[in-house]
Amino acid sequence: MMIRTTGLSKSFHNHEVLRSIDFQVDKTEIVVLLGPSGSGKSTLLRCLNGLEELSGGSLTVNGVDVDSAMSHREKNARFREIRRQTGMVFQQFNLYPHKTALENVIESLLIVKRMPKADAVAAGERLLKRVGLAEKRDAYPSRLSGGQQQRVAIARALAMEPAVMLFDEPTSALDPELVGEVLDVMRELAGEGMTMVVVTHEMKFARQVANRVVFMDGGVIVEQGEPASFFQSPQTERARRFLNQITGERGDKE
Amino acid sequence: MQLVWDNAEFLLRGARYTLQITLVSMIFGVLIGMIVALARISGIRPVRWIARFYVSVIRGTPVLVQIFFVYFGLADYGLRLGSLTAAYLALSINVGAYLSETFRGAILSVPKGQMEAAYAAGMTTWQAYRRIIFPQAARVAIAPMGNTFIGMLKETSLVSTIAVTELLRSAQLLIAQYYKYTPFYIGIAAMYWVMSTLFSIVLHAVEKRLSKAY
Repeated sequence: MMIRTTGLSKSFHNHEVLRSIDFQVDKTEIVVLLGPSGSGKSTLLRCLNGLEELSGGSLTVNGVDVDSAMSHREKNARFREIRRQTGMVFQQFNLYPHKTALENVIESLLIVKRMPKADAVAAGERLLKRVGLAEKRDAYPSRLSGGQQQRVAIARALAMEPAVMLFDEPTSALDPELVGEVLDVMRELAGEGMTMVVVTHEMKFARQVANRVVFMDGGVIVEQGEPASFFQSPQTERARRFLNQITGERGDKE
Repeated sequence: MQLVWDNAEFLLRGARYTLQITLVSMIFGVLIGMIVALARISGIRPVRWIARFYVSVIRGTPVLVQIFFVYFGLADYGLRLGSLTAAYLALSINVGAYLSETFRGAILSVPKGQMEAAYAAGMTTWQAYRRIIFPQAARVAIAPMGNTFIGMLKETSLVSTIAVTELLRSAQLLIAQYYKYTPFYIGIAAMYWVMSTLFSIVLHAVEKRLSKAY
């Protein structure tokens, strides 16, 4: 088991965003979180590496336990441990704008892992090549397209050799013609056996790549299952309505 | 103007003091400004309050009063500072308060996602500030900081009142000797102008360097 949450809750100012979530991800599994906006899927993802503080419950990521009842200090230390083993990719890329593509990728190798510069650079160049951006090593983010920025961000997340990758709507901020290049990199990663949790609205990606789809609404997991059965015959009314809306809007019902 | 040339050496010595006071107060002012800026965004409430009180008092009172307080006021409590030391101290404390506001704003201007990316990559809070937040904040802070510095250069003339022989007081001493005003005031005005222009050029170069990624 790579990830397990037990009774995970999260509130913002008395508003419950996550209500006692029990959620698991197996090693090498690719899980796609679906749901309308405000359903809590991004919050769940961000709780996994402690970007959101837990209001209740506990979680385990790659053998590191965190319980919401632990002291602040203890939680911080454990989440830092978890973050060293997880990579995260953000909707807005969040590349460091004052650093080149290569410097973005190797920053945590130098600072967190304290790797010698030459080794870090070699690793960074390898990673940029892997996402097809070897020739952009010295470019600043402002000179890259959105798709290229997101691929650098994926390389940056992979640099720490994470056991699991978290994707928070990685293609939502991209122009439509740039979505494909990012999804291709993610597909490749999935093919290599990376454990992935992906919040996305890309239904095609979910159908083709996910091992399991988790549908959330109103802060709870409403339904989950294999993509084929979920998309063909959703069991709940809420999931049906969501799928109808999505496919209706986009007119790409297959 | 011949009088100015004849006394150039004396005036240049005054200019050197002006420059020295500006640089020393700037260095300590930057240090104070950074510490106070961090205090103001810290999670510890009393620390925040103290920092806010300091900024509010300094910004709400005239520099001249602050200079007199440090030089004459502290002497009442047995702390007799040399006039140059008092000038350094008063001006550092003053400029530190203004810079802390600049730095605070600059730090807060860095998008939240930057901190999250640094955390997600496993950095500690301090590593994230040092490597990710501060360099981006510096670029935002440099222009207003430059204005503060140039303001500072001119404010040093106020310490002539506590008998520091900087540029203004040098001129005043010469005026008392020759009973001629205009040439000396024009002379030192030109010297102030040259110094602030040089500052501007240096700061502009720094700003350009920090912005090369954008």
